[in-house]
This record gives sequence, C-alpha cells and structure tokens, in this order.
Amino acid sequence: MKNRDRNNEQHQQILGAFQTALGQENVSDGPATMNAYFGDWLPPKTLGTSVPPEFVVLPNGTMETQAIVKICNRFKIPFIPVGSNQWSLSSAPNRPGTVIIDCKRMGEIHEIDEKNMFAVIEPLVSLAQLHAEANKRGLYIGSPEASAQSSAVAGHLFQGMWGVGHRIGVAYRNILGIEWVLPNGEILRTGSFSQDPACGFWGEGPGPDLRGMLRGYAGALGGVGVVTKMAVKLHPYPGPRTWPCEGHIPNQVSILPEDRFSWDIVKYDDLEGAINFMYEVGRAEIAAVLQKWPTVYYAWWWANSNEQYWETWKKRTFQDNVKNAVGVSLWGFTSKKQFEYEKRVLEDIIEETGGKRIPREIYDLWVPRTANNWIRDTNGSRMMRPSGTFLALRLPTDTLRNSIGVVRTGYEWVNKFSPPILDSDGPDWIGGYDFGHFGFGETDFPVEKTPEDLGDLMNKLLGMTKEDLQNGIENGIGPFLGGTYHAMAGKVFKYDKLLKGIKKAIDPNLVSNPPHNIPVED
Amino acid sequence: MTENKEMLLPKDTRYLKYPADGPFDQEKARWTAFNCSRCSVCKWVDSWRVKSAKYARICPQHTKYLYDSHSGQGKCDLALALIDGKLQWDDDPEIKNILFQCTMCGGCDAMDKGIRDAELIKMYRWLRSEYVKRFGPLPEHKTMTDSIREYDNVWLQPRLKRNNWVKELKGMGIKDLNREKSDILFFAGCTYGLSDELKGTIVNIARILLKNNIDFGILGNKELCCGSPPSKTGILDEFERLAVSNIKQFNALGVKTIITPCAGCYGTLRVEYDEIEEKKNFEVLHVAEYLDRLCQDKKINYKKELGITVTWHDPCHMGRLGRPYVPGRDLEGVYEEPRNILKSIPGVELVEMERIREYAWCCGGGGGAFTGFKDFARWTARERLAEAMDTGAEMVVTSCPWCETSLRAGAAGMNEKMETVDLFDLMVKAL
Repeated sequence: MKNRDRNNEQHQQILGAFQTALGQENVSDGPATMNAYFGDWLPPKTLGTSVPPEFVVLPNGTMETQAIVKICNRFKIPFIPVGSNQWSLSSAPNRPGTVIIDCKRMGEIHEIDEKNMFAVIEPLVSLAQLHAEANKRGLYIGSPEASAQSSAVAGHLFQGMWGVGHRIGVAYRNILGIEWVLPNGEILRTGSFSQDPACGFWGEGPGPDLRGMLRGYAGALGGVGVVTKMAVKLHPYPGPRTWPCEGHIPNQVSILPEDRFSWDIVKYDDLEGAINFMYEVGRAEIAAVLQKWPTVYYAWWWANSNEQYWETWKKRTFQDNVKNAVGVSLWGFTSKKQFEYEKRVLEDIIEETGGKRIPREIYDLWVPRTANNWIRDTNGSRMMRPSGTFLALRLPTDTLRNSIGVVRTGYEWVNKFSPPILDSDGPDWIGGYDFGHFGFGETDFPVEKTPEDLGDLMNKLLGMTKEDLQNGIENGIGPFLGGTYHAMAGKVFKYDKLLKGIKKAIDPNLVSNPPHNIPVED
Repeated sequence: MTENKEMLLPKDTRYLKYPADGPFDQEKARWTAFNCSRCSVCKWVDSWRVKSAKYARICPQHTKYLYDSHSGQGKCDLALALIDGKLQWDDDPEIKNILFQCTMCGGCDAMDKGIRDAELIKMYRWLRSEYVKRFGPLPEHKTMTDSIREYDNVWLQPRLKRNNWVKELKGMGIKDLNREKSDILFFAGCTYGLSDELKGTIVNIARILLKNNIDFGILGNKELCCGSPPSKTGILDEFERLAVSNIKQFNALGVKTIITPCAGCYGTLRVEYDEIEEKKNFEVLHVAEYLDRLCQDKKINYKKELGITVTWHDPCHMGRLGRPYVPGRDLEGVYEEPRNILKSIPGVELVEMERIREYAWCCGGGGGAFTGFKDFARWTARERLAEAMDTGAEMVVTSCPWCETSLRAGAAGMNEKMETVDLFDLMVKAL
C-alpha cells in the first residue's frame, strides 16, 4: 500500500500530464499537501485502510475535470472527487496512487431562476451560500444537520436528511439537471441540461431517469464520476431576506419573525406517542420541520463549551425534560392567516394526542440558540464536543412507525458496546419526511476517541451489520463505513448485480473512488 | 434534578473541561490537532452569518491557495503528522508556506470556537516557533528580527526617533513617565510612532486627550516594541524578552491603565502578555474604548459636519483576538466602541460590510504576511476593499497601523479608489 516515489518515471509522466491540463499551480504532489487529504473524521489508524493521495488537482469546470478523468483512465489510477471535503467521509484514499479531484475552483452559482425556482451550482458552493442567496429572493433550501458549510452538490447527492424534509422531501429529491463527468471521461447531461446545458429547470429523463445512478440513500460516494454542475429546486420562503442572528460566537441566537414562524417542542410519555403525533401533523399537511430528537441532540447543538455540555448532562437538564419530545416548526408560507390556521390545527393535534409542551424555561434555554439549526445549520459540528467524536450505528429509512423498532434495537447495541460508547440516554433520532410518508431513524452517540476504542467499535459495528443482514434487516450502515467495509453495500441494497453492471459499464478501468459505490473486483 | 453517578464519561478529562490555562505546549498542540474532525468550519463564515455567496469565506490563505493543506484543517493535519513523526520538518518546502502565509487573523480560530473548545491560533504560534527553532526566522522576517534585537522596534529606527512625533505637541503638557507620574500610559507602538506617514494619527489622538484634560504620559525613547511581530512570526524568545521588560517597566512606573491606538499592541498587551509569568498590574484599553467613554459623556465637542458615508473594518487584534479565551464565553472584542465613535461624528453615516466583528475578513497585514508574502497580502487587502466598495461607502475607517498600511498598499493600482482613513484622523476632521 505505497504510492510511487515522486522521482518515479511514471509519477513524473502523470504529473506532467496534469500540469499540462491545469497549469502547474493547480497540481500538487507535495507531501505536506497530500497530508491534508489523508484522513477522515475518525482518528488516524482507526480503520487502517487509508493512504495519502499521490496527487491533488484543482480543475476548473467540466472540461478540465474531463481532462483529468481521461488522464486517470489513461494511467489507470484511481481518483476521488471532493466538494467542500467536510468530514472527508468516504474521500480518504484507500489505494496507492490516488488522485484527489478537489473542486475548490468550482464555486460559482451560475444562476438562480426566481420565477421557476431553481439554482444552478458548482460543487464548492456551500448550502449556507445557496441558502443565503435563495433567501434574498424569497426562496429557501434546507441544510442537513451536519452543518451548512458542506457542499450543496454533495449534500444533494448524499442522503440529505435535512430538517425541512418534512415539507420539501429529502435533498436528493430536489435534484434537477446534472452535468456529470462519467468515470470513463464522457460527459453526461441529464434532465433539461441534456437539451440545453444552460437550462436546468427539469430533472426527469430524457428516457429513464439517470439521476438514480448517482443520488439516493448515501449516494454513490464518488464512485461513478464527478458532478461539475447541478440544478436544484428552491422553494417559496416567507422569512426575512437576511438570516436572523444576534450575539457573538459561541452564544449566537437566531429568531425568525414570530408572525410567520414558530417552534413547539411537544413531549409524550413514550416513543409511540411521539410518532403518533408526527403522523397526525403530516396528515394535516402543516409545518415545515418535524423531528423527534434524542436528548443528546439537545445537548450537542446547544452546549457552548465542553464543561457546559457535561455539567448540563450530569444535571439531566435535557434528559428529564425532552425525552420523547418532537420539535415542530410552523411557517406561514402564504399569509399570517395560514400561519394562524396551522397553529390552531397544531393545538388540536396536541390535545387529541395527549402531548404536553416542554417546560417554558427549557424552551427558552434551548430554542433561540438551537432550533433554527434545523433550517440552516451552523452548530452541527458540535456533535464532536462531548468526547472528540461521535459514531452512528443504524441509519435506515423506514416508515415512521417502524423507526421506533430501529432505534430501540439501537439502544440494545449501544448498551452492549458501552464503554467505549459513552453516556447518551438511549439515542433515538427519528426524522419525518414528505408529510409523514417515511421516517429516518438514527442512533448517534459520543464514544471514546482513541484509535483502539474506535477501531474495535467499528469492527463490532460490522458484526452487527452482518447479524442484521442475517435477520433480514437493512440497517443502512454499510455505505457509511467505507473502504473495505463497503463490501456490505451490495447485500444491503439487494440489487448488487445491477449496481455492479452500471459501475463496470461506465467505469471500465475502476478509477472512480474504488471500491465505491460497490466493489466489483470479486 | 439529580446527578447520575453511573454516567459513562470520557476518560480524557479535557473533554469534561478544556484547560484554557497553562502553557500551550506540544501536548496541547497535538490535542488541538487530534480533535479536528475535518468539519471545515475553519474555512467559512459561520453559516448563520453568511449573507451572500460572494462573502462567505473566512480564511484568506485557504481562499487564495485553495488546497486544504492551507487551511485550519490542513494545519491540524500538518501538526499531527509532524508531532507524530509521519512528516519531517524538511520533507517539503511547502511547509514554510503553509505555516507562514497565514495572516494569523484568527478567523478560523473564531469559527472553530463556535463548535469546539480549541485555540487554533495558539497552535499556529507553536508550529511557527518550532519551525524557527529548526531553520531560524524566515529570510523575509530577518530584517524585522534584527531590528527588534538591535533597536527594540521593527522599523530599523534609532531609539531616539521614538520621540519625534511628540515634537509637534511641544509645550502642550504631555508627561514623560520616566520623569513624571500619571496613572495613564499612552503606548504609541512602533508603527504609529516611527512612521512619518502614520504618526499624524497619534498626534491627533494626543490632541484630543489633552483638549479633554486627560492626565496621561508617554515613555518616549524608553518605549519598547510590544512584541507582537516576533510573537506572530515564531520568534518567541524575543517576544518573551520584550514582554517581560515591558511588564516590569509598566509595573515599576505604577501605571494603572495603558491606552494604545495600535490594534496589534492592544491584542498583545491585553491577551498575549497573560502567557508571561510576570503579572500585569494594569489594564489595557484601545484608544477607541477610552474615547468612546468621552463621546458617551458628550465631552467631545464636534464643530463640523463631514457629510460622508463610511464603513468600519474590524482589526483582528482588537476584535476576535482582543480578549483572553474562556470556553463558552462570547468572543467579544472592541467592536461597538469605534462604531459608537463613528456614529457620534456629525454627518458620518456608517454602513456595514457583510463580514464584520468576529467574522470579519482580514486586511492581509498581519502575521508577517505583509513582509513575507506581499502579493498575497495585497490580494487579501483587495478582497476587503472590494467588500467595502460594495457597501457604497466612500472610505474604509479602521484603527490599526497594519490594517491601514495593508489596505492602502492593496488600493494602490486598483481601478476603483477606496481610501483608508484612521478613526481618529476622521474624528479630528470634525472637531
């Protein structure tokens, strides 16, 4: 598992080819630069599979990206595309000779079409940037709870379980046209881009919907080429043109206008009660955000220092007050009248389902500093605060009802693996999407941050996944483990032959982030 | 509510309470680097504060040089690799650029403090000092270093010249604290004090103080560099020498309050001197903090209406780097005082840039970049000037000699003109 020496003849040939394509300043093979693309969000050596890349290249636009991909095919060397490179999930090289295609020179918003409500963006554009520009025009998108500094293109391709998904569906459902350099170096344009590369209002076809090769649950993780341009949906927004934020880091607060926006945190005796409430809110087709957060989330997103986190946790401030609580945000999309109507409907639902609002002092403590992260996230990276890192062990999509079972079996695994899993009060995130059409359950927890503890835990997670598969449970964890563990993906998806067929057809030299999105070597 | 004694808490107690006190040594540097989760907040303005796509970046070095190695995340990766021996200091000449192009503006540090307890800027200082231990000061910084060692200032000027700016105020009663007593020391700083271009600012400030019967004094030829340049460029022995000498001198003179017009001196005296064992018996204020009090008390009698629209540039060292770090506490700084002063001047309309206060974009003048990486410093300044122009303001107002010098250098050769003016020079125009 070693890269070529920098003086190696082939290394020099490849370097020369990249430099000819991009210019010397946009190609690096220096050890100090490679070192910044080596790791991922876990401590070094946790999985023991990553090696430094051999090159990092900075193409600008589709044609330069195509040139790089063609060079990779000519020399049969793997490449990994990265957008904002947040957390480097699945982008740490796992084979020698890897080229990182860093999209830092592709940060333009080509267009925001206010009338037809879509934006055309390049891979570096962050969700916060797009959100800000959309807000100026009375439009919005969401941002996943891993923070809005992540790439909007990558965020749309990967999972995209954002807070506003209750109203507008998960991120990958909001992709329209795509301009895409396939692993073999061909350029593919989908949707209305296929007819006019400047026009991205339509996502389907022509013919079969090719977006499915890229997007979807956890996406393709760089395994099927590089998206260099994407059109995404925007949606009508009744909020201010500039995101409201007062105070100083780390204690900023964000309060949207009270005549059009509200947050209610409604508590139930058990998870069943909470999920029943979520169904009823969906059935009434009200609200923009609907989330059942675990108590760790309340503490993670809120605490502004390590000490505050653990002192609050030890006092059980959140555990005793927000267990089985659901956060719901109402928006007066069309008018104040509509907002008032939704408030009345919500009151009825709370009464009918036996819900109780959390204590006012807890609401006032938490909501101003934290709740709007589920509209535009800025505190998501606080997930690392309690112990330096966190892990998740189950992340399946399912019906809202079945998500209860998912997180409950998650508790069992958490108990089984504690320590190194640390105190987390039965973590049970359940998000509601498309007005209750489906749910997403995730079990997140802080864990001791040592390579030994984490490596051991990751191997146990693999065992858990195997056991789940034997029991016919799709637990979603396979794609997230990455590297060699990605072999689980085929079994998880249950259409591994089709995925392999696609991968082989468009990536004959296996250069696009192997073994993603599915191993084909066997 | 009861405390659950059975809770599984992290074994490493630093996760329970970050030790902000104590020296920033290799162990602390490693821990800072080890706990970087590659979340990338160090590269962007806090997401809640992003107002447009155009002005969403926080790190000049990363925005210019693009590779992640040239970001806060990359420097964490580099620190970890160097400390753990995965990389050697002489493995790659780019290590020098990664470490020293940075303007040490603290933008990444401030954003990072929004999500974790850490001190990136201290890690950079530690990395730079380790570099200098091995290879000596950067050739581009050598003149400055020699000057400090020889003359106790960064501008190769004889000590006697320190007093030149006061000549214009002869007979107006400025005390020499070497001979007379006052609770208040006006610490001019090397750059204001020794630059013919900039010294008018401190003359103006002194006039305002004198007119308001403020009892203050200066150190004249005995004033030493505050130590900011060597502190930022990795020459920590010189920083310590100057800091210890200064603290001893200030304490011996019985100074109760130091007021300084220089943002670099301010941040160094107020924050970095806390790292020195010698204890401070004085408070440190920026002149803007001091004069704001006079403005609030309506003691400044303006006579002219200026009729001008201005924007305020927050110097990093009087802003996000102007307070000792206490985890969880607001990243406060001298943000409101200069704005209050501007609003108090008749006929001045203040319009804000998008990136302000703790999420302000740097001027390019700090961390030795202005002398070491001139083109980059100029590019950084121009980015700031473009942002200022977008506000519709006629001029940028600030209160830091490095910011003023860097922004003026950046403006030279630009098609559109944007003047940079010192806060107190503007104030005097209305008196």
